[in-house]
Amino acid sequence: MRGDVFGFLGPNGSGKTTTIRMLLGLIRPTAGRAIIFGMDTAHQMPSILSRIGAIVETPVFYPYLSAVDNLHVIGAASGMMSGKAKQRRIDEVLELVELQAQAKMAYRKYSLGMKQRLGIAAALLTDPELVLLDEPTNGLDPSGMFEIRQLIHRLAVLGKTIFLSSHLLNEVQQVCNRVAILQKGNLIKQGNVRELLRGSQQVLVKLNTQEEVQQAKTILEAAKRQGADWISEVRIQADRQGEATLLVDTPKSNSTEINAILARNLLFASELHPYEGSLEEIFLQLTAPSGAHLGMAALAGESLTRQSSSIKGPERPEVRKESIE
Amino acid sequence: MSVSSQTNAGEAHTKTVILGKQSFLSILLRLIGMEIYKIRRRIMSKVLLSIAIVIAILVFFLFSLNTFFVLNAPPDSFSPPCPVTNATSQGQARPNCPPPTTAQVTQFRESVLRNASEPLRLPTSLSLAIQVALSAGTILIIILIGSSAGGEFSIGTVRLMYTRGPTRLQFLLAKVGVAALCAAIGILTITITGILIGQMLNTLSSIPQILDFLSPGWIAHALLYLLIAMLDWFIYATIAIFFGTLGRSTVAGIVGALTWLFLEPILGSILRLAGTFSQGTFGNFLKTIPDYFISNNTGALLQNQGQYIFGGSGSSLSDIHALAVLIAYVAVFIGLSWWINERRDVTN
Repeated sequence: MRGDVFGFLGPNGSGKTTTIRMLLGLIRPTAGRAIIFGMDTAHQMPSILSRIGAIVETPVFYPYLSAVDNLHVIGAASGMMSGKAKQRRIDEVLELVELQAQAKMAYRKYSLGMKQRLGIAAALLTDPELVLLDEPTNGLDPSGMFEIRQLIHRLAVLGKTIFLSSHLLNEVQQVCNRVAILQKGNLIKQGNVRELLRGSQQVLVKLNTQEEVQQAKTILEAAKRQGADWISEVRIQADRQGEATLLVDTPKSNSTEINAILARNLLFASELHPYEGSLEEIFLQLTAPSGAHLGMAALAGESLTRQSSSIKGPERPEVRKESIE
Repeated sequence: MSVSSQTNAGEAHTKTVILGKQSFLSILLRLIGMEIYKIRRRIMSKVLLSIAIVIAILVFFLFSLNTFFVLNAPPDSFSPPCPVTNATSQGQARPNCPPPTTAQVTQFRESVLRNASEPLRLPTSLSLAIQVALSAGTILIIILIGSSAGGEFSIGTVRLMYTRGPTRLQFLLAKVGVAALCAAIGILTITITGILIGQMLNTLSSIPQILDFLSPGWIAHALLYLLIAMLDWFIYATIAIFFGTLGRSTVAGIVGALTWLFLEPILGSILRLAGTFSQGTFGNFLKTIPDYFISNNTGALLQNQGQYIFGGSGSSLSDIHALAVLIAYVAVFIGLSWWINERRDVTN
């Protein structure tokens, strides 16, 4: 959707960069096709690229040129007219990424963070509708990562649609409103971040003894059978201290109701608090090898549909018709 | 011309992204401009141009040394040749030759000086300048264009460029275009530098530059002579582009083209020798192969024009043959570069 910050997640080797390269025409899909702005990337790539700004992995520029000169070169390659307007635009994007002070410095003297910011400046130079950022915080220190996150926020405020590929889930959770999760070339989950996280909400209940925990589980499961359909699943799990804890997969707003059911059965929780999973937990749950259970409630947002696509080779996913508007 | 504006939340539109015409040619011309800008900003380009100029100056200085020695030689070292008699032949002394008069010595000295300083004056200086360009200069253009084409892959900027909108063909043609421009600028720079330095050094000899050879026909042939030299550079530049693209590196571009440059004459000599030793049709076939080499065909074109500029005879290879061969080379190398570019995935 226009104005979205869309996170494209996946473990290393899942095909994120390969997909982006295919979307940008750097590599060709072995099968299938990709549609961007309603246009087929196989036949209308120049028209598509004129509306896209992108950085693929670590951006690379001409080392002997300064930031300004590099942007002049990229501007010419992007079809921009030379003149004062172009210079003003270059100043604008350098200001946006806070590189004005180093604008005349040769690119080879730039730090990694400065290189990444110049990459984003280059991606924004032609005021594109869609900005593809592939691992924009790769190799950055925490302050550098923070700067890039702030920048992405600023771009979202400017109304840009951002397609952010990353394996840094905390980063994605902070900046993206929608995500897609890729594994071995398959799109295994796609949806709104809030909905995904809402689906991972749990209520954590601690009781005084292990027997009470077992009793509580039995009571809540009975309640579920008797019509408390807001309870998805109830299970016992050891906490970090090794104590048995009851985990109830349900929205946190049901905490009071759980407490009341237990109290009616003379079980009094020593601790009861809502717990919301992180994108990282959801991701690990989804991408864990089959059979492995990582202690998270099953994710079942109604609006989230599981999609998958087959792949022809280990590294190159078959592109499904996914439009990005 | 289309204008795109950026909307800042709550702010007015700013119109700073002005795109030019998007026709194939307009994009290509902008890309050529971009390539020129990059080359202009590189220190290597300036260093290579300086080397070319210095080589041209040095060669003309070396040739002026001859004039300098003649000028500083003692008068008795100039003895005009004796009129031919039976007695003077076969290395004998000049028993019947009267001692030369001062006028004869002066005249002979002037004749020697004229010959010694000939390469410093037009039209011979044109030939010398072009020889300089086609020897050392070819290496320089290969380094320049090889690093420009292969460098995009070595540095990784090809990824950046290929995601900006123009097609890969346009990027390749921009490289080819800038190679042609560099060839033209380089040949003109070396030629003009050489001719000017030659003229300056010629003042030592006090022999005036006579321009009675100048005619519209001569100028036309001289221009063709320059164009052939440019074509020679351009062909090696396209070879550098091809190898740079094929090997995806600066080193591949430079080494590939230099190998071709140096291997051709060696291979040509070996084939001609083998052809001489072999008998019959196969021998003739071997001897004919070098007629399809780049250097032999540019040499033939230069020789065919040179006969109108400097005198002498033309080449055994016709202009049509040479041009057809050279155009085929250009078409093959650009075609292969295009084919590789189009089919190749751009990864790292």
